[in-house]
Amino acid sequence: MDLSLRGNSCYHCGSVILPEECYETDLAGELRKFCCAGCMAVAQTIHGEGLELFYARRAQTGDKPAAYLASNKIPESLAPYDDPSLLSRYTRLSANQEYLETTLRLEKIRCAACVWLCEQHLRRISGVEDVQINYVSQKVKVDFNPEKTSLARLLFEIERIGYEAWPFEPSLAIAMAQKERRQLLTRLGVALLGMMQVMMYAWPSYVGDSDITPEYALLLSWASWILTVPVIVYSAGPIFQAAWRSVMSFRQSHVLGMDVPIALALALAFLAGTINLITVSGPSYFDSITMFVAFILAARYVELLARQDAQGGAEALAKQLPAICQRLPQYPTSQKIEIVPVVSCHLGDVLQISPGDIVPADGVLIEYESALDEALLTGESKPIDKKIGDPLYAGTHNILNPFLMKIEAIGQATRIAGIASLLDQALQAKPVMVSLAEKWAGYFVSLLLVSAFLSSAIWWYIDSSRAWTVLVSVLVASCPCALSLAVPTAMAAAQGAVAKLGLLVVRGHVLEGLLKTTDLVLDKTGTLTMGQPELQEMIIVRPEYSREKALALAAAMELGQKHPLALSLLRATQIENIDPAILDESIINHLGKGLSSGTFRLGSSEWIGISKHGKHSSDVLASQYGQIHLADEQGVIASFIFLDTPRAGMKALLSAAHLRGIKVHLVSGDDAPTVAWWAHEAGISSFQGGCSPEDKHDYVQRLQKEGCFVWAIGDGINDAPLLARADVSIAVGSGAPLASAGADAILTASSLLPLAKSLRLADKARSIIRQNLLWALMYNVLAIPVAMMGWVNPWVAGVGMSLSSIAVTLNAWRLRKA
Amino acid sequence: MESLYLLIPISLLLVGLLVWFLFWSIKGGQFDDLEGPGEAILMDDDNPKPQKVRITQDGE
Repeated sequence: MDLSLRGNSCYHCGSVILPEECYETDLAGELRKFCCAGCMAVAQTIHGEGLELFYARRAQTGDKPAAYLASNKIPESLAPYDDPSLLSRYTRLSANQEYLETTLRLEKIRCAACVWLCEQHLRRISGVEDVQINYVSQKVKVDFNPEKTSLARLLFEIERIGYEAWPFEPSLAIAMAQKERRQLLTRLGVALLGMMQVMMYAWPSYVGDSDITPEYALLLSWASWILTVPVIVYSAGPIFQAAWRSVMSFRQSHVLGMDVPIALALALAFLAGTINLITVSGPSYFDSITMFVAFILAARYVELLARQDAQGGAEALAKQLPAICQRLPQYPTSQKIEIVPVVSCHLGDVLQISPGDIVPADGVLIEYESALDEALLTGESKPIDKKIGDPLYAGTHNILNPFLMKIEAIGQATRIAGIASLLDQALQAKPVMVSLAEKWAGYFVSLLLVSAFLSSAIWWYIDSSRAWTVLVSVLVASCPCALSLAVPTAMAAAQGAVAKLGLLVVRGHVLEGLLKTTDLVLDKTGTLTMGQPELQEMIIVRPEYSREKALALAAAMELGQKHPLALSLLRATQIENIDPAILDESIINHLGKGLSSGTFRLGSSEWIGISKHGKHSSDVLASQYGQIHLADEQGVIASFIFLDTPRAGMKALLSAAHLRGIKVHLVSGDDAPTVAWWAHEAGISSFQGGCSPEDKHDYVQRLQKEGCFVWAIGDGINDAPLLARADVSIAVGSGAPLASAGADAILTASSLLPLAKSLRLADKARSIIRQNLLWALMYNVLAIPVAMMGWVNPWVAGVGMSLSSIAVTLNAWRLRKA
Repeated sequence: MESLYLLIPISLLLVGLLVWFLFWSIKGGQFDDLEGPGEAILMDDDNPKPQKVRITQDGE
């Protein structure tokens, strides 16, 4: 349903139009109303290019765009993208060397219509030569002529239709993943083509009774051989390499990889087939070989997709630092500001950070005090007041007023870069249980090689002509792939599924661990609660002010402020549909105290000069996040009391834990009454407040000594020892780097609901692993004796083995949908 | 049957051509996004001229 058709709502963004701010324009013969110049500009651009189908097709209305879009001028903030240093970082020469190629990441995309609109709009810009848009990753690759257009123009054009884009610097890991995927697909394609054609040449021998003469049979065999060579050399090349590496490292590892029997079987079959072909005697196994390779690669490709899918979440986790910043080149002689790319800044440069901006580098505050939201780095949810000389960290948010900082670390040296590399490292780490399964498969391989050669030797005495066939078919049929794939595929698929839910598994044993958990230890601030204030209560002191009037007055004063309490107050007025009052006098910001406008003052208890409201029970007071008061010259008008809010999904997680018989503990660094209040609120019986990080660590240790298997969830640096100590640990949100470093998984969603769902998924993953192992074992137990008896010829064995691998992988695939 | 001497080499050539085609399409990224083109064709298919839109929107 198109919201724009409703009477008094904006045609573009659907928000209510205030009577005094109505913009109207004629679009496609109809008078359309807009809430702001930005919306009108966006709609005019879209209609101007004949793309109005977007309005009929979109699933959701858009956000309010910025007002500067009304003019056709590239804003100053985007201009530095054309600076050579940034341009070379984000663009490269396109395939035909003529144009520049760049990858943009689109933001605010809500449906397929949005993606379509972006693509169509970009195509209509003069100078844009080619646009390739990926609907899944929401990335768009643009080839453009640098003489006719520029990177800044492309970014601006996307903003002009109501979206945002930032140039994407393709990381090495992503490029590698793509290369790996494409390469395996090519190898698989070659093997499949080879298989199809060789089977066609082999048709006369399948049918058997054809009147084909020996010289034509020889021709067909040689044609098969020509097609088998690339399949062996190119498609199966990595299998031989891996097998060779495994044999070479046998001295150290005493384990043979699962590629060894495959490589051996392939080499023997190909050799035997070639010898038979040259001596014109006996069968050539080329159809079996190509089919075998094709099926193995198909199974591996499916596995690769499942594995890479699980890695996708890491990219979303990487927080963007700003690409440009405001530098003061002549500080302190002049306060002149230039906008430059962050990459061209150096140590010791002085930057100005405006309110709402993200700090681009680590450094120290040198002028103007401010408050920063460091939630990303420390998990501390209340803003931190920063004085001159205090350290600042890249990735933190300035929420109060503009300040100057001196850069002390930039780029890879910053703390936030440390988190990113830590994540990359962790993602590479191989899960313990998977490698155990592979080790098991390794022993199985050694056993198998012995039995294959033994049975072949026995056949040599019985019927020497069949010894060769038996050797090959035992090796092929019994390939431990299915066994070896059983665990990793299920784990990879389950991890992919939980990543989609918003839980990024860093160490592979998380899902297994969740099943063993007996005790769950929770942190309070930032984990059980959001650490974000909500307006809980208003106390009106003077009866001549109504609730609405006081709220409208307070909201008018807080308008445009970035402090959490201000945002919370504004949210509350929005929910109650109260318009901010019109103030006669300008607002003055008294840093760290409050705001004033004329005689009205809004701020902390100390500044207003009253004691905190504590007339309710003391535990309610303890659970408060903060209070602010509105006053004029006659005294206090109203008090606003804010309360921390429980994290979404808290109830679901707790009830899922109770259902499984997991005992829940609440352990927090907050003062005891607050923790007690929240424990009561959430229905948690064992709790402990006022804990230092060491206390938390000891708490877990004590539980473990009692034989409990502890699952911990936390977010801040103070939780890091707790998370590192626990058997399974999950760090919440974009928490502190240290917390994530100690944790086995990172919850990227803001709700706790994914954890409850992950518990269910872990159950399912376990049953699928069991099914897989059982199936693989059954298959091997059946197939090996049959092959040893010489009842199976190699190509049947190849099909059977590949089918069992595919069955195992497809069974694991079911977990992705959870 | 002599035709096989011609047909087999031709079939080999065709397979070679197919392999080249496969390399080309994978390198061009045609297998990277298997969802997008399906969506795109639905959107592009009935892309109406501005003239037509006026009529349909009046009808709404």
